[in-house]
Amino acid sequence: MNRAVEVFWLPLLFLTVALLGGIRVGARVLFLPPPLSTLVLALMLMAALVRCGALAPARLIHPGRPPLASASGGVVLLTTFAAAVQAFNVVIPESGLPRVVVTVLLFVLVLNTIAASSDRTHVLRSTAVIVGSTFVLKFIVLAALSDTEGGWLKRMLLASLEGVTLGTLTQPRFAPVTGYVAFAALILFLAGLALLPRSIDERWRGGGEPRNRLTSG
Amino acid sequence: MRDWIVRAIGLALAAGYFTAIVWLYTRQPQTVAEATGAFSASVGAYSVDEQAFADGIAFFRADRFAAARLALRRADPAFQDARTQFYIAYSYYREGWGRFYVDRDLYARGLEAVDRAIAAAPRGRIVVDDADLQMRSGDELKAELEAGLKPADLNPLNIARRRRK
Repeated sequence: MNRAVEVFWLPLLFLTVALLGGIRVGARVLFLPPPLSTLVLALMLMAALVRCGALAPARLIHPGRPPLASASGGVVLLTTFAAAVQAFNVVIPESGLPRVVVTVLLFVLVLNTIAASSDRTHVLRSTAVIVGSTFVLKFIVLAALSDTEGGWLKRMLLASLEGVTLGTLTQPRFAPVTGYVAFAALILFLAGLALLPRSIDERWRGGGEPRNRLTSG
Repeated sequence: MRDWIVRAIGLALAAGYFTAIVWLYTRQPQTVAEATGAFSASVGAYSVDEQAFADGIAFFRADRFAAARLALRRADPAFQDARTQFYIAYSYYREGWGRFYVDRDLYARGLEAVDRAIAAAPRGRIVVDDADLQMRSGDELKAELEAGLKPADLNPLNIARRRRK
């Protein structure tokens, strides 16, 4: 892996995701700390990434590397975890029934990713679909339902949810900029995942050359 | 550039960025002024605008509470000075007090301000040396504001209660 990517770009990219992930703009700007469930989800996602070879911790930390190089490799791992935590924090709804349902859904989807996806491409694609679909659910569907003025989407959703009490679905309202910040955070997160050092086996599978396998060490 | 220098710079940058993020999530600043003020207070470099503070106190003594708060907020834009926040809380108390009822909204804002004063004071103890005030500590003011926010009872003797100057 390129030294600049490992030392500068990946940590700064993932820390930016960690910064943006908790921002909610309403009457006040809130920096929401992540709920405990996101830590577990992030750990599971890390396990999926390692299992499929999208992340190779052995290329970041190993006895053959100088201590400072291993330290910067450790920073990449820690910041990846922090960004994963905040990426889940972004997409989990803030309250009520949707929060419970989406958290359970994410557990199931990430577990399914661990079990079913054996290669990097599939896991990265699956991660993009998971966070993308929950983003749409939270920032478009639930936001429309929580909109007091209501638009065509709310009317359509109300028609399809006939009989459901909206009190269990509505969320705290945030300024539209919150959605844009969340979208940027998720795009940066997915870009960062694609830049992570993959395992050597995975590179061979993908047709890449195992050159520079330990260039940073 | 040598490898260890590049890596040391990278580690320092990441550590600094991470510290800033933790700080933001802990302090929850609302404006850039609040963020920079809280940061300078944490390194001991924060100071209030003394002229604005003096203006605020003059308005406060003249019972012009809204004007007093404007000047005091200008004096302490980052909400980091315990004394200024104490006077802001006191202005809410005085303005919100009524013989028959209290303005709960103003009292609630006063409570927020006195909480900020207590948080900013060393070891949470704020005592203001001002002979014109009957309540000179943050604890007294906070207790008075909290009492005012409790559900009102229909006690006719409440009419006889006095505002604490």
